Amino acid sequence: MYHQTIEMMRFLTPPLLNELRRRLSLLSTVANKQLPLTCLLPPHHSAPLKRPLYTGATLRKDVPLPQSKEDQTEEKLDLDIWKSVMRFQVPAVEEEKQGGEEGGGGAAPSGPGGGVAGQEEVSPLEATRELVVMWRQAGKLVPEIMTDEELGILAEFQTKSSKKKYLKYLAIKEGHKNNHKQKQEKKKAERSERFLEDDRIRPGGVRGEEGELRNTFLLQFWGRSLDKLLGWRSAQAVVFGQPLVFDMSYEQQMTRREVENTVSQLMEVEGWNRRAPDPFHLHFCNLQPDGGYHRELVKRYGAEAWERLLITSTEQRHVDLFPRDDLVYLTADSPNVLRTFDNSKVYIVGSMVDRSIQSGLSLANAKRLKLNTARLPLDDFLQWETGAKNLTLDQMIRILLTLKESGRWEEALEHVPKRKHDGFYQEKPQQDRDRGSDKDRRFSGRTRGDTGFRAGDRERAFSRRASVLKSGDRAIRNGDREGDSDKEIRTGDRGDSDRAVRTGDRGDSDRAVRTGDRDGMEEWRQKQMNGVVRERGSTSRHKDSVFSSRDTVAVRNGDKERGSTGRHKDSVFSSRDTVAVSKEAAGDAENRQNTQTTTRVRTSLKTKMEDRNSTAKSGKKLRKEE
Amino acid sequence: MSHDCGVIICDFLITDMPSSAVFASGTAKRTAEYQKKRAEEEPDFPRKNKRVKPPDHPLTASEWKSLKLTTPNPDRFDVRMMSSMLADGTDINVAKSLLAYVAMDTGTLSYELLLRYLTLCVGSGHHSEVFDMYDIMRSRFRTLDTGASSLFIKGFSRTERWKEALTILENIKRAITPSPRNYGDTIAGAVLHGDGDTAWALYAELMEKGLIPNQETWQALFQCGLSHQGHEDGLQSILLHMRDNQIYPEETLAKDIKAWFESLPEQKWIGSWSTVDPRGVCRSCQAELESIQLSREEYAQLKDRVMGDVIQGRDVFNKTTPEELESFKNFVKRKPAFDVVIDGLNVANIGIKGNQSQTLLEVVSELERQGLVILVLGRKHMQRPSRSWDRHDMSLVQQKAHCFFTDNISEDDPFLLYATLHSGNHCNFVSRDLMRDHKACLPDGATRRLFFKWQRGHQLVLSSYTPGKRVRFQRILSYDTIVQTHGGSWHIPYDENGAERCTYEVPQKWLCLTKAK
Repeated sequence: MYHQTIEMMRFLTPPLLNELRRRLSLLSTVANKQLPLTCLLPPHHSAPLKRPLYTGATLRKDVPLPQSKEDQTEEKLDLDIWKSVMRFQVPAVEEEKQGGEEGGGGAAPSGPGGGVAGQEEVSPLEATRELVVMWRQAGKLVPEIMTDEELGILAEFQTKSSKKKYLKYLAIKEGHKNNHKQKQEKKKAERSERFLEDDRIRPGGVRGEEGELRNTFLLQFWGRSLDKLLGWRSAQAVVFGQPLVFDMSYEQQMTRREVENTVSQLMEVEGWNRRAPDPFHLHFCNLQPDGGYHRELVKRYGAEAWERLLITSTEQRHVDLFPRDDLVYLTADSPNVLRTFDNSKVYIVGSMVDRSIQSGLSLANAKRLKLNTARLPLDDFLQWETGAKNLTLDQMIRILLTLKESGRWEEALEHVPKRKHDGFYQEKPQQDRDRGSDKDRRFSGRTRGDTGFRAGDRERAFSRRASVLKSGDRAIRNGDREGDSDKEIRTGDRGDSDRAVRTGDRGDSDRAVRTGDRDGMEEWRQKQMNGVVRERGSTSRHKDSVFSSRDTVAVRNGDKERGSTGRHKDSVFSSRDTVAVSKEAAGDAENRQNTQTTTRVRTSLKTKMEDRNSTAKSGKKLRKEE
Repeated sequence: MSHDCGVIICDFLITDMPSSAVFASGTAKRTAEYQKKRAEEEPDFPRKNKRVKPPDHPLTASEWKSLKLTTPNPDRFDVRMMSSMLADGTDINVAKSLLAYVAMDTGTLSYELLLRYLTLCVGSGHHSEVFDMYDIMRSRFRTLDTGASSLFIKGFSRTERWKEALTILENIKRAITPSPRNYGDTIAGAVLHGDGDTAWALYAELMEKGLIPNQETWQALFQCGLSHQGHEDGLQSILLHMRDNQIYPEETLAKDIKAWFESLPEQKWIGSWSTVDPRGVCRSCQAELESIQLSREEYAQLKDRVMGDVIQGRDVFNKTTPEELESFKNFVKRKPAFDVVIDGLNVANIGIKGNQSQTLLEVVSELERQGLVILVLGRKHMQRPSRSWDRHDMSLVQQKAHCFFTDNISEDDPFLLYATLHSGNHCNFVSRDLMRDHKACLPDGATRRLFFKWQRGHQLVLSSYTPGKRVRFQRILSYDTIVQTHGGSWHIPYDENGAERCTYEVPQKWLCLTKAK
């Protein structure tokens, strides 16, 4: 009977067995008790048993959930198995973790050993480091690698939430960086694969990589050449170009991160300006040598590149550098709208990033210094949809550069981000629209129009009428806004012969710049230094052509006072005129030169240029830094 | 002074709807709900349900495996499953079976997964599990993060091992300042196990660090006072702290406060739930509550601070110019003291768009009828005749009231505050602006509360306006809503359960405590 049971059990499939166990409790006890015995059976006896036996363990597994008390305790044991696993693992894991942390790199230069040993009194930095490590393990958004500087900043934060925010910011930044790196590597791999392919097809084919030149009839245009060209253009702007001021007096109003963002934008500003056909002479005013702006600029550019940059950076205020009447503060909060871009004005842009909106800060600054203010005519040209009317610094310089070159708002305002507006107004001609919006503003009271300023403008506009014919296209281009009555007086002062001399001079210098001829350039520079030519608003031949094209724009814009005959000739003259007009009175210019010599630009211009030409490497570096 | 004010309030036509007053608790919420209802119902996009659904009984390893394979996104399956268990409050055995499966499958458990499991244990009060987890995690990881530490504090403070929570608290202090909740949990643990001294020491430390204690912490301390006598001064200082910081207890805390007062031996306190009638008299004990009017010193202090911090601020050019401010000061000096100052643009824009000047005129006329000296503040563009600013209306306004027009690029609110404060304690102002931005300019909490008190006592709000009908203002309450006592009695305003109160609103219910004679 004993053997029989065993034999029988061999053919029982688990579900069947289960069924049996439930129905015949007796049998189940028998089976339970006897099953282990089968193991004791001599091996020869189980010759026909090819299939493995169902041991207790497997049985339990396949049974649907156990109901009896006995089984529940067994399940309970199973439930807590992870605890013993974890406890058993402890030493090995601890070691592994320490090793991993050390491998984690820059984060733990002092080593985990020190951390463990000095557990009693850990430095705040060490405690912060541990906190970061544990937050990372807890699945919080935390960067993998942190520099000591970042850790220091983190330790300075007072509250937990500010720490978390900063870590999140770093983690996201790190993610972007890693993605970028991965992309680069992928590209690189593809490229090298392509080269290999090339080699396979044309073994011994020429490639620029090994220093051998490609066999081509085209001249190679090196990046260095472009750098040189742009460098000369910037140098020219520093001497002749229209100044554009960035007001760096907002450090108090910004957080550390906002200063960093501002500096990033300023770097873009410099890049856009350098690559423009007719760059501005950038002035970074109110730049304190030990302030946050300066520290960040030097950090981002590198001390060497920052010194070599062809801009004017100064501690002085813009009102000390330029005559007050020439300055116009561009601010979104201004009640006045900038209708036309004036080449004789010095525009000021406040270099501030406000992540939490702080309206009226730059307007307050302008009010304090009693400067003229203006905002861009965004509402006149764009169907504004969402967002504030403040723009980033790089958008601003692109708008201003385009405006300077073409004089067309439609073109310039292309640089306003598309998400903020729903396209340009199209049907109405510009003049009508301006008038219309003006009227609206006057009556609705919603937008604040400054009556005093406006009245003054109107007066000027009248006095302007007379000068329109005399001083050529500039006045027309200026519209009826920012006319300066003293300009006419200045024009009267100038003799014709004087102008002739100057134009001749300019021709020479112009050529020198263009060809990049060192000697010519040197000579020209000498002349500059000697004060033979002292003009700021003057231009190259290239600019002349810009002027004439602008002139046609002005005419197209519906100017009726100018005859269209002989336009071309007229325009050439008028541009000359403009030069004379926009020139400062001699004394004034002298003054300015003096102030500028206090800044390092003029004095070190020569050395800077030589610097740039001598080392191609540094040029390349400069390009990278864009 | 308060008598003066009373007369003026009676002069105004007042709507008898205290529940809809701007400063009454719940008004903001009701308004928001009403406007939400009015707004077009936007189509509701059902959120994509990416959450995995936890099983309702413990699974075996193979079952977990198959479940993992069937989920559309097996990435981080364990952690996501544990999170959804947390959200659903699943039985702890299910979670254990998941841990067992993961431990057997991968050979280890991640910190993140353990942390979530710990949250589940603490949330459902499995104390022995918390102890086990503590041993495992302490031996397995070098330190614990703030989340785990907080959980252990919470878990330990409920058990006989509550003293270990103190050491964990010390550990947290090394990296960051512990949260008020950490302190609160530890204090609750001490109170639960009858160690009142430790609890009070911790509370002192919490206050010293400038943290804001939770209401639960106070509740624990009051319960401590209920079971163990003593610390009477400490508990009274909590009430005074509420008064100084204009904090209102929640209903549960109010109940504990009442119970504590009534438990005090030989003092025979009687507590009752009460409301206050508009004259400022407690409906339960008929005692008169503190007036909303500021004392002379308080008023002088507030005036100085508003001048210095709100109007001039860090940069006087931000809101105005020095010349303009000076000319306004001279203007105010020249004129007699005003009884009411009107924010012209704010009032004008209450009515229908298009006839702003008419709205302004009606409000001014109504106030003039009451024989008050009025100042209307506006911007210069209002003087320029247009469709919305009728020349005739504006000249009438200028006849009936003194007017001052600021530059179009200046703010007018600071001038309003200055003129009102300058005219003395009897002067009110008319505006719907809640002045929160100006309140925020004040540097410290005490002045901010003073400002709020003054604002509640002096701001006239137009409840609604229909052209042609008489202008009505909302009632100004004559009493201050704040915890108050005069030795023999306490009056404590409290938040009802479920009532959502905005920061600029005050509760309507009171706890009245009096000594039986």
